[in-house]
Amino acid sequence: MTEEKNICKITGIFHRGITDTIVEGLESVGIVDYQLAAARTLMLQEKKGLFGLYSDTVIVEDPADIMSFLIPAEVEEAVMNLMIDKGDMETPGRGTVFTEEVIIVKAHRLCFENEVKPFEPKSTYPLITELTGICCIVQRGEGNFVARVALDTGTCVPGITFGHGTGLRDKLGLLRVAIPAEKELINFAASKYDADAIMALMIDAGKLDQPGKGFIYLYPIGKGLVNTKITRGMPKHAASMEQLIAAVDEIKRGTGWRRRTASEGQDSKSKRAFLNDLTNLILTCNAGRGEDLVKAAMDIGAAGATISKLKHQCPSDSELSEISPAREDCNMVVGENQVGDIVEALDKAGAFNDNSHGQVLVSPIPKACTYLGK
Amino acid sequence: MAAQQQPGGKVKVTFKQAMEMLFPYVKSRIAGQIKSVALIIVYLILFQTIVLRMAIAEASIIAVGLALVIAGLAFFMEGLMLGLMPLGEIIGLKLPQKSKLPVILIFAFILGMGATFAEPAIGVLKAAGSSVKPWEAPLVFLLLNKFSSYLVYAVGAGVGVAVMCGMLRFMYQWSLKPFIYVLVGCLVIFTMWAFLDPNMRALTGLAWDCGAVTTGPVTVPLVLALGIGICRIVGSARSGSAGFGVVTLASLFPIITVLTLGTVFRGEVPKPMEEAEFFSTQNRDKAVTLFTSQEEMYGYAFMNASEESQLALFDGSKEKMLEYIKKLKEKETERSVVFPGQDADALQRWAALSGTKEQRLAIFDTPEAVREAVTMYSMNGQILKLPDLLRRNGLAAAQAIIPLTLFLVLTLVVILREKLPRSDEIMLGILFALIGMMIFSMGIELGLGKLGNQVGGKLPSSFKQIELTDQQKTIVGFDPAVVQTATTAEGEKRQFFYLKSGSEYETLPYKEDAYDVSTRKYTYLPTKGPLFGTEGGLFGIIVVLLFAFFMGYGATMAEPALNALGLAVEEITVGTFKKALLMQAVALGVGVGITLGVVKIIWSIPLAYLLAPPYILLLFVSKLSTEEFVNIGWDSAGVTTGPVTVPLVLAMGLGIGTQVGVVEGFGILAMASVCPILSVLSVGLSVTRKRKAALQEASRAFQKGGAA
Repeated sequence: MTEEKNICKITGIFHRGITDTIVEGLESVGIVDYQLAAARTLMLQEKKGLFGLYSDTVIVEDPADIMSFLIPAEVEEAVMNLMIDKGDMETPGRGTVFTEEVIIVKAHRLCFENEVKPFEPKSTYPLITELTGICCIVQRGEGNFVARVALDTGTCVPGITFGHGTGLRDKLGLLRVAIPAEKELINFAASKYDADAIMALMIDAGKLDQPGKGFIYLYPIGKGLVNTKITRGMPKHAASMEQLIAAVDEIKRGTGWRRRTASEGQDSKSKRAFLNDLTNLILTCNAGRGEDLVKAAMDIGAAGATISKLKHQCPSDSELSEISPAREDCNMVVGENQVGDIVEALDKAGAFNDNSHGQVLVSPIPKACTYLGK
Repeated sequence: MAAQQQPGGKVKVTFKQAMEMLFPYVKSRIAGQIKSVALIIVYLILFQTIVLRMAIAEASIIAVGLALVIAGLAFFMEGLMLGLMPLGEIIGLKLPQKSKLPVILIFAFILGMGATFAEPAIGVLKAAGSSVKPWEAPLVFLLLNKFSSYLVYAVGAGVGVAVMCGMLRFMYQWSLKPFIYVLVGCLVIFTMWAFLDPNMRALTGLAWDCGAVTTGPVTVPLVLALGIGICRIVGSARSGSAGFGVVTLASLFPIITVLTLGTVFRGEVPKPMEEAEFFSTQNRDKAVTLFTSQEEMYGYAFMNASEESQLALFDGSKEKMLEYIKKLKEKETERSVVFPGQDADALQRWAALSGTKEQRLAIFDTPEAVREAVTMYSMNGQILKLPDLLRRNGLAAAQAIIPLTLFLVLTLVVILREKLPRSDEIMLGILFALIGMMIFSMGIELGLGKLGNQVGGKLPSSFKQIELTDQQKTIVGFDPAVVQTATTAEGEKRQFFYLKSGSEYETLPYKEDAYDVSTRKYTYLPTKGPLFGTEGGLFGIIVVLLFAFFMGYGATMAEPALNALGLAVEEITVGTFKKALLMQAVALGVGVGITLGVVKIIWSIPLAYLLAPPYILLLFVSKLSTEEFVNIGWDSAGVTTGPVTVPLVLAMGLGIGTQVGVVEGFGILAMASVCPILSVLSVGLSVTRKRKAALQEASRAFQKGGAA
């Protein structure tokens, strides 16, 4: 029930219009236990204003879903191919899907990976391996501004979800109401070779190294398919730039050719201090329980958490339906050595009982940045 | 912030640090509210001073009132966000998990009923129907006065059933569309049928307005949050409803219940008739049924009916009537029945202000006393009583918020056996909402309402000549020798005199009865208008219609319930449906709706002609729209008519209504409800089309690229 286990977490960020077909496809191979979070994706669109006298590039937003579920590592590729096939995601502009290797540290007995028998997907697609995930947490309202970096650098269509933060704010008593807790979480996948540079640009855009502005971190991605259609509008050429990039990626079997910055040495001149070797600890539990549990974790030394709402889906006739459909993710960034203590504290606070149906996943964070105090 | 690692326990904050945190918080909330009400305030002030060219009376009180509106809204909105909405959502989350369907339905019914009793819209409706005469619309008069409690029960039952249906919808994930088709279909047929009966025809306006005003600024956010909470548990992740839709049902069901109530009482009331016929002896028995007692009918006749009608009550004998009045003067108990009201001199005030010469004499005995009383009571306008104002609005706020939240908290603790999470924050929120509601309604009364009354009352001057009753002037020591005679083109003679006011010479028509020979005082009412074009000219009316449009637009932007709905929509859609877009769409719709409502009043077009086409059109548009937008669009209709819009609309509606002489000011609110649905659904259709196009564009581009 509680042993540590390496498994594969698949995350898909896609246009809400294709969620249904993807869900159907996944259910047909036995992936019935998954989570959905309402999100939005951004794209750039050229807008002509005032009789075409000037033009401006504006951000347009589309409703999207971020779907995540756990599967055994051996079916990883088959499942991804299935999703790409069902969602026609090889077409740029429909969605991004990627995998992460995570460890279930401890979980309620119902909250483990889907049991999927190995199967042969109808068609296989080239998956890119040299990717790094970027997650950035900013104050509500700043999301588009910071996420635009991903669009302006032509990296990927970012997915943005809402959440609320806990931390120092909760130690202020009632005065806490004066400090906004609403956050936006920006999530996307970038080429491994560009990730550092993009992260630096995002830190600049959001002034993330200043107090109270936010948090950004990189996380490793196994393989994935990235939605690179960052602009909307009629194509001017036989193939769009996004398609050309995708085609070269396929030929070169990777994104190494895209490298634009020398990844080392560039940051040193800005003397920016980064946090290294942290751990991402994600507690998923029934809605309403997150705050208490995070408090327990904070008592033992966690700095705080960003809590976001999820919808848990499973067949209504299975045992899984005991889990509340309303769930929340508590995203904590902690030191590697803190994990054991925190999980113990969470256990004591009832995180893994039938009331909370908790699940703790950890994955490494090689690099992170936030305000570090004077 | 997140990086400061600190072991558990509270952090000590110095006073200065606390202020540093509080200041931007307070500033941003106040600034937000200033932004939302600035439009309507600036608009009203500019319209009065520049278009109508009149100074603003009681400007300092109005300024204080407007400041109170802003502070009140800031408190109230914060209270909603901190207290009421989280409370609603928690219950929504727990209710389906911990209780069975019957419990949920009973809870829903009580909540709906309670919300209606807590925020009685009946006051608003009474104001809208204050000029309804029992002989013109007996049924409406009966329901607004003698049987007003039945009216509240009917509306309450309607809202209760609506919330119940809303919960059932969520639990079984039914679409809102069939509800709309059936309800609106029934309503259109019911209204058409009612149109054939003169009594019911007048009631349709009241019924449709009931639907529009029942859902207030406390109920809407609570019900929304509750729905959102429930949908997090029961709805499928893919369903588009996400907790909206209850407000729609709560605006439609009461129309049905009120019309049904009207059908029940239809047989008991006389048909609409002429005033003289109404008070005639043959009709006496029927007429009395509209009042609680014969005495009350006498009182009503004294206050509102013509002298002939009053005489008719006393078999045409003036002596009998005067004797009756004298008797009233002596016997306090009888007087309080005939002239209900708290003040002891209600009889005297009535006599001085609206009594005939004989009636005045009967009360005040001597002509001198009459004259004194008349000046005293006409001078003695509304005096601002601060303690009374505080008490009244405080009580109303407490009544609107405390019973409902108490019911919710008790449900949570006793029935669901859950403790209240973040109880300090939620309690603070409820306190904020309470304070906010109180300050806000005081502000409406002192500021926005007064301003609206001034503008609304004078608005008709743009197309016809009106008397400025609040600016009565007296010339002391008037010498009739200054009166001169003029002639019209037809040779008729007219008398006038010159008045020197300031450095200007003004011509005034001379009216003989305005001159009091014994005191040599000449009282006159200044007149104004028509400011644009000729008397009753189209140009002036267009100005009024434009005014109505922008007023509706501006007032809607300041509505707290709509703001709350907008925030909820933005949160649910992760920012893809912006609050600003929703509010713009709704405000445009309300503007158009109010303009149509004014058209109804000016040309007295039957409401059914104006309501049926948009609702029938809506049935088709709803069919085409996605579930998401149907829910949001129809819900926004229910929230548009709130505490900011209603007093302004009524002031304008009644102002125009009295000048053009219509039965009642009903129907504008109903029009202001239907048009926003159309505008939001149109926006929805366009957004949905764009989104689909975006997804298809991806495929198309790919196919092209693939071919190349």
